[in-house]
Amino acid sequence: MNSNKRILWQTEDGGVAIIVPTDNCGLTVEEIAKKDVPSGRPYKIVDVSTVPSDRTFRNAWEYQA
Amino acid sequence: MSKIKLAPNASGTGTLTISAPNTNTDRTISLTDTTGNIVTTGDSGTVTAPMLNGGQTGSAPAFGVRAWVRFDGTGTIAIEGSGNVSSLTDNGTGDYTINFTTAMPDGNYTIATAMEQFSTSSGRAITCGYQNGTGDTTLSTSSVRVQTKMTESSFALTDFEGVSVVVVG
Repeated sequence: MNSNKRILWQTEDGGVAIIVPTDNCGLTVEEIAKKDVPSGRPYKIVDVSTVPSDRTFRNAWEYQA
Repeated sequence: MSKIKLAPNASGTGTLTISAPNTNTDRTISLTDTTGNIVTTGDSGTVTAPMLNGGQTGSAPAFGVRAWVRFDGTGTIAIEGSGNVSSLTDNGTGDYTINFTTAMPDGNYTIATAMEQFSTSSGRAITCGYQNGTGDTTLSTSSVRVQTKMTESSFALTDFEGVSVVVVG
């Protein structure tokens, strides 16, 4: 299921954006990454369990390749 | 017994053909007990509100939703329902981008949003659309960015337990 995955990509300011893919769009998570990650930005696909659920300091999160 | 009558048109010269599909199963097309026209896929723009099967009344035109999403913006962000949405980008606290599976035809669509907060009764919420400083007067056709804020926290960006976005256009 796509919803068990997250696509992380590095924002221009060094932060991290997290893409939550849908299950019902007819695309794979890899296809969603190619379509929805801004062109040229590095990204990686991870299990949802690796993303912290405590969002207290969400804006301080950083992307690690 | 009711009857079936075929009525040729004396003014036309063409031939109306009713073609059968490639099937080994008997099929029945049932008509309702009303007078009206059967709309085909070639009748673009002729579907009226009473044909939407929702008990609509009046003659004002009805417009369809182009995309929608409902998600939980707290904890592990999760999409709870959606249509024509490939993904949701979490840009940070109270800051999200809704990515469309199929792009909008132009950037002049409109969005409607709502937020819900289940765990507390305080804090009135507002939302706003967001465009990335490009100077464009229209929205992106492939995505729309929204931010959710709390009026009682000096309009700070805030995560909400229920965020809904509807796109019409």
